[in-house]
Amino acid sequence: MIQKEIVLPAPREEVWEALTDPDRLEDWFANSVELDLRPGGGASFRWSNGEERHATFTEVDPGRRLAFDWEDDGAVEFTLDDDAEGTLLTVVESSPSWSTALELQASAFALV
Amino acid sequence: MSDPLNLVFGALADPSRRQVIGYLSECGTATATELTGELPMTRQAVSKHLTALADAGLVESERQGREMRYRLTEAGTEWDDRLDSLRKHLERRKN
Repeated sequence: MIQKEIVLPAPREEVWEALTDPDRLEDWFANSVELDLRPGGGASFRWSNGEERHATFTEVDPGRRLAFDWEDDGAVEFTLDDDAEGTLLTVVESSPSWSTALELQASAFALV
Repeated sequence: MSDPLNLVFGALADPSRRQVIGYLSECGTATATELTGELPMTRQAVSKHLTALADAGLVESERQGREMRYRLTEAGTEWDDRLDSLRKHLERRKN
């Protein structure tokens, strides 16, 4: 499991828009984005290098939480919290197939 | 599932490769030349071990002049880049 946190200089409503509006996603996440923003809805992301990934939303709680499952592997959860400087965004990505290798790697690094 | 794990186990099974990992975890980054100077192995052996560690996803490299500079792979660097892009996107909209 990977967990990342970042404080963003914008209110939660705007961060939510940046995470869920295809036009805005195309400015920072992928080159071409299509979304059906509802639980069970699909998402498609395409990059200029030809890479393409598809996902299905599992949770859509406007301004608070967004979660989806990658079709190929893994799940992503975004959580938005108010912060004095804007919004605290937490991302958790879990992937059943590589989590064991990563955990093993982390413990191996701790041992050497 | 078994493939990446086999590569990781195989890469870690060798004491010389564990020395390379130990050095990188202490010093952060190193080139093959620096590792050859610091560790009791030939340049060829260092290169071979770095390739095995990279194949297992344990180290990553970037070109620096004529050499490659190696570091231990950190999980989740992909998200660091994405979140940085998101922050820049929001800053652009602000201005």
